[in-house]
This record gives sequence, structure tokens and C-alpha cells, in this order.
Amino acid sequence: MTSRFIPINVFLGLAPIVLVIAVWQGLVSFGFAPAVLLPPPGYVFSRLLQQLVTWTFQQEIAATLIRLFAGFAIAVVLGVSIGIAAAANPAINAVVRPIVRVLAPLPKVALYPALLLLLGFGHGSKITLVAADALFPILLSTYYGASTVEQKLVWSAMAAGTPRYEILFKVVLPAAMPSILTGCRIGLVISCIVVFLAEMITSTDGLGHVLVTAARTFQAVDMFVPLITISLLGLILNGLLGALRSYLLRGFPEA
Amino acid sequence: MKVVPSRSSEWVRPVTSQKPASAIIEIDRVSQVFQTSARKDHLALSDISLTIEEGAFVSILGPSGCGKSTLLYIVGGFVSPTGGAAKMKGQTITGPGPDRGPVFQEFALFPWKTALGNVMYGPRQQGVRTTEAEAQSRALIEMVGLKGYENFYPKELSGGMKQRVALARTLAYHPEVLLMDEPFGALDAHTRTRLQNDLLNIWERDRKTVLFVTHSVDEAVFLSDKVVMMSKSPGRIRQVIDIDLPRPRRRNELLLDPRYQKYVVDIERMFDEVDETGSPS
Amino acid sequence: MMSPEALARRAAPVFACIGLLAVWQIASLALKNDSFPTAIEAIRAIPDILLDKESLINILASLRRMAIGFGVAVLFSIPLGLLMGRSRSVAAFFNPLLMVIYPVPKAALMPIIMLWLGVGDITKTLVIFLGVSLPVIYHSFEGAKAVEEKMLWSGAAMGLSAAQRLVRIVLPAALPEILTGCRTGLVLALITMITSEMIARQSGAGNILFNALDMGQYDTVFAMIIIVGAMGICLDAIFERVRARLVRWSEPQFDMPLSFS
Repeated sequence: MTSRFIPINVFLGLAPIVLVIAVWQGLVSFGFAPAVLLPPPGYVFSRLLQQLVTWTFQQEIAATLIRLFAGFAIAVVLGVSIGIAAAANPAINAVVRPIVRVLAPLPKVALYPALLLLLGFGHGSKITLVAADALFPILLSTYYGASTVEQKLVWSAMAAGTPRYEILFKVVLPAAMPSILTGCRIGLVISCIVVFLAEMITSTDGLGHVLVTAARTFQAVDMFVPLITISLLGLILNGLLGALRSYLLRGFPEA
Repeated sequence: MKVVPSRSSEWVRPVTSQKPASAIIEIDRVSQVFQTSARKDHLALSDISLTIEEGAFVSILGPSGCGKSTLLYIVGGFVSPTGGAAKMKGQTITGPGPDRGPVFQEFALFPWKTALGNVMYGPRQQGVRTTEAEAQSRALIEMVGLKGYENFYPKELSGGMKQRVALARTLAYHPEVLLMDEPFGALDAHTRTRLQNDLLNIWERDRKTVLFVTHSVDEAVFLSDKVVMMSKSPGRIRQVIDIDLPRPRRRNELLLDPRYQKYVVDIERMFDEVDETGSPS
Repeated sequence: MMSPEALARRAAPVFACIGLLAVWQIASLALKNDSFPTAIEAIRAIPDILLDKESLINILASLRRMAIGFGVAVLFSIPLGLLMGRSRSVAAFFNPLLMVIYPVPKAALMPIIMLWLGVGDITKTLVIFLGVSLPVIYHSFEGAKAVEEKMLWSGAAMGLSAAQRLVRIVLPAALPEILTGCRTGLVLALITMITSEMIARQSGAGNILFNALDMGQYDTVFAMIIIVGAMGICLDAIFERVRARLVRWSEPQFDMPLSFS
């Protein structure tokens, strides 16, 4: 009866998560894992809820989110503009292309110590790292989308009287949107990962820092809490981006 | 049937024309060379000279690869000819413009806009106020037979409907010349014949100049006043044929009309002659 | 003899490197910050690192862990991905699980795994394994899914069993996509390796970086960054060569977030 109210997809999607939690509980209950190392799921989730209502934990979440959004936003603005510019202008392309080829395979996290030296241990170094890591997928997929715009779309707009410089905004950008949003999705996931890791390596606040602190004091439960939090945040943000994507791309046929 | 010898750059004016027609498009010794990846040069068009009169429905007919689309794109200003020039009302064509509106085989509708949004694009670009543009566009959408589909996205429309939207979109900015590149090529036969009829009905209203590219002989004969036959690559003009059939043309009448049948048979035979003897001189 | 355009295109990344180093040099001279050495100073510190036995052992240990983690991950993930691609039930079973694990940064599991398995090589290799597995599974899955039914029907008609079809038809057909996944995995392996070493300092390149940071040896920090960067570029270039060879027959693939080429 309830399947009429719960869409079957949601049900199927939740089932394995339930399964994981069940296995988890099983491992603890049957003594395969000592509770000190693997606390039972019930305990973890109640601790999570407990933490979520505390101001200190909320501040940690806020710190992480600020860096996440700031870094991601910078990556989107830079990535989309450079991507479109490179696709539209051969001169810019010739300069950007080799730089990207050199920088893309470089693990940006290796730059982190340098960023710490230059920007200190606070928000700045982390935001820059997030932006640097999220930039490339967004730039590349924007470039791809912009350079594969159907020629006849551009021609149709030109015949209708659109001057050349407007074509970028009125045709290229909308037509490249599917690619851009795919790149943004990858960039968002990367942003979540990088901000967390950066906070784990050196930080005074943020979810990553919470995890490392708990590790140092051997509090297993308190280690799971930030981990699950960042995963949930990632899922929520991904869901929001997905909804935005559905809205923006409502006219596009499913590729 | 009047058949004009192939080296024509002048027309024999049909006796039936009411007023002296003025030339709106002149194509003067246009040739087009493309560089292929193998660094060889491919001559797509060779020494094309043609005059299109205002208000004429002219088909460019030829086999695949003969450069007929390229010729259309040159007139549209999307491609610059490597040799010669095309002129519109005496001015050399240097780029696209709202005086020459294209309709493409692939429809090329903006997928992020609804049917109405697509049609409104041209007027909005020309500075027409939104409410006015919307009203005009709705009227056009109704004229092409898609009333009720204004808020549909292109992906929700069938091929025939998409092409109607494409036509409405081009008509919306009132081009003097319609450039149609095998517009019905991607559609099934039934939809194609319906759209051919509808196109003629729409065209009858204001008799714009139309340059219509096709590889279908009966389509060319059915629709046009003149058929320009092109040879295989490199494309040259083989013949220009006046189609002296009365308008308005009804498909069910015309199919049974022996004059129509003769045109189709004769033109098809001319194509076969080319195939047998290779490229014409 | 290469055409001038091709020559320019080949040389371009080299110019880009030089350009970036030049920008660095100018910036550091302009900022006159003690903790921001010039490019030249950093480059001069590189031989010191490479010739130092300690450091070299560290770096090689890093590469070893990365190789093992990557290798095991690939051996495990490709068959799993292929199976998922061709069997709807297998896919339904693993898919949601993977989707939950995906957004979790594998290196972040380090402290937890450290708690269970200690600080040694196993932990770091395990994390690398986890990091590489996901993209390889995903791409193998997608690649296997996209194999044309008709090809498999032809195979079945020729008498190939299901297992044979998987290995002799699905695997080669999905290879371009699989290799894309491997490339992503390689990048992730490098990143995870460095990050795990930065978190669980004990040995490895990441460790050298942060030790130098702690001891104020800023030249070494930046020199190490260059070395790691060079590692990344070389590995990527080598992989690309191998990949191009293996899938010469396929349509050019756009490699989504990684590189222009």
C-alpha cells in the first residue's frame, strides 16, 4: 500500500543504504568488530544528531561550507569564462591549452604547503586549493561544450541579426549548458573532497579538523560524525545541483 | 517546357509574368575551394553565375555532394566564396543578415527555448518590444499550423512540427529572401508532402524570393518557378529550366497533370545522361 | 619533417612550463616574502632532494604504494564493472552502495582505517586502492553497458559462452572507456597518495613536504612540489601513450576533466 506514496525509485535507492547499516550493526552485534573501533550505527547516528544541534558543531559546518562555496564559486566563474573564451578565440586557445595540459595532471594538493606559506592557515589557503582543484573539470567541459555547439544554431542566430559578440551569450553559453553543468557536478564533488582533506591536513576549524581531533583522542564515534556529515552535505548539494540542472536543461533532449 | 542552354547568365523571361521582375540576387562567377585534411584542395563549386529574380521560387537541384548547399551558404553569407562574389540588391554579400533567412534541414532550433521563444528570437533581436514580439510570434505559429504548441520545447515536437517552427522563426524577422537547405530531407514522405503544400500556401501570401535546395526532382518541379540543375562535383550549372505550371499548385491535381509529369521525366533523364557520360563538360 | 604547426603544438607545453616558472620567479621577487622562494632557488634545491638517500627512499616508497594500490584496484574493478554493465541484478546490487561511497573522500577514511590497521603501508595502499577503484568500476560499468547487443548476439551465435563473451567481446569493446577510467584512477592515485601521506605523516613524498614546512626549509617545500608535479605530468604522459596504443582503433574520446588532448 505504501508503495503508492513512496516512489519505487526512492525505495530501491534506500535499500542498499539500509543494507549497509544492517551489515554494520551486524558486525558490531556479533562481535566481529570491537565497539571501540566500530561503534554501532545507532550510537553514531544519535551522536550525530546530538552534535548537529550544538552551536560549536554548526560553526564547524559553517566554516567548511564557506570554504566550499567560495572555492567552488571561483572555480565556476573562472572555469566557464576561460572555457568559453578559449573556445571562441583561437589566440586565447593557443595560450590556455598548453597551460592546462601542464597543470591539469598536477596534484594540486601538492601545492597546499605553498598556499599555507603564502596565505596562512585560515580560509584563504583552503578556498584557493578548492578553487584550483575544481577549476579544471569545469574549464574543460565548458570548453568542450562551447566548441561543439552546432554550427547551424550559430548561423540561425546570425541570420536573425545577432552581432558576433552577442552570439557567445545568446547561443554558445546556453548551448554549452549541458556540458558546463556536467563539469560543475564533477567540480562540486571535488570541492567537497578537497575542502575536507585540506582541513584534515592543517586547520583550526572545519569538519576535517573535527575528524583529526577526534582521531588524536581515539574517539571513534566522533570520527564518524564529521565523515557522515560531509557525505550528507555532498549528497544534498549534489541533489540541489541536479535539480538546478533539470530546471536549466528542461528543453534539452536527454543526451 | 522552356529549356535554357547551360551557359546561361541571362534568363528568357517567361511570357506569362505580369510585371518586369527585378534581379534581387546575383551570383557572379562564384567558385569555392575547400582544403581537405589531406592538404588537397577540393573544388566544390566552379564558375557559378546565376540571377535570381525577386519573388521567384527557385530550386537548386543536384545529386549529393554537388555543392548546392555550399552555394546556398554563400548566398546566406555563412561561407565566403574563394572566387567570385554573390550580391544582394547590388551589394556584395559579406555576412549573414536578416534580409536572407535560412531554414536548415536539421531544424537548428534553440533547444533551450520553447517554440514561442524560438520564433520570438528574431523580432526581439531587432528590438521589437516583448509584448509586440510575442503577439506577432503567436500569429506566425498559428499560421504554420502549430497553435497550442507555443510552450512546447523542440524535443517534444515531431520532425515536421520542428520544421514548421523553424520556418516561423525565420519568417518572424521578415527576410526578403528565404534560403531553404533541403528543409524536408529529414522528414518522412507523408510529412514532407504536407509541408510542401503548407509551404506553398504560406509563400502565396507574400511571394518572397525563395532559394530552395533539394535533390528531389518532383519536389523541385512541384514547388518552383525555375529549376537550376547542377552537375556532380565540381558543381556547375548544367541547365536552368522554367517551370511553366499554373499557380496555386495542388498536389492531387498536379500529379495527374501531363505537363508536370513531362517536366519530371525530362529532368530525370537529364540526370541519367550525366551519370552515363560522367561529368558534363 | 614536421609541419611548423605541429611543431608549435608539440613545443607549446614546454613553453607553458617555462612561462609558468617565469611568472613564479617574477611574483616571488616582487613579493619579497621569505617563505616564497624564487623558482630558481627551488629548482636548485631539487638535486639535493633527489640525491639524498632518505628522500629517495621515501619517494620510491610512495611510488611503490601507488603502483600496488593502482594495480590491485584495476584488477579488481574492471571485472566488477564489466559484470555490472552486463548484468542488471549485479548492477542493482552494487550501484547504490557505490553511490554512497563516491562522495566520501577516501583519504578521509585514513584516520579510521589507521585506527583499525595501524599506520603502515597497508593503510595507505588500501586508501589508494579505494580511491582508484571507484572511477575504474564506474567507467568499466558504463563501457560495458554501451556495448552493442548485436555484437554479443553474433558472439553467442559463434558459440561463445557468457564468460567468453565477457572477456573476448565486452572487454575489448569497452576498453576505451575503461582506459578513461584508469586515467582518472591514476590521477586519483597520485592525489590520494600525497594526501594520505600528508595526513598520516610517516614516510613518503607528502611527508617530506610537511617536514620541510615544519622545519622552515622553504626551498625544499617548493622543490618537492615541482618534483611531485613532474611525477604527475610524466605518469599522465606515459599513460596516454599506452592508452593511445591500446585503442588505436577507437573513435577519439573526449577525456572529460583531465586534459585537452
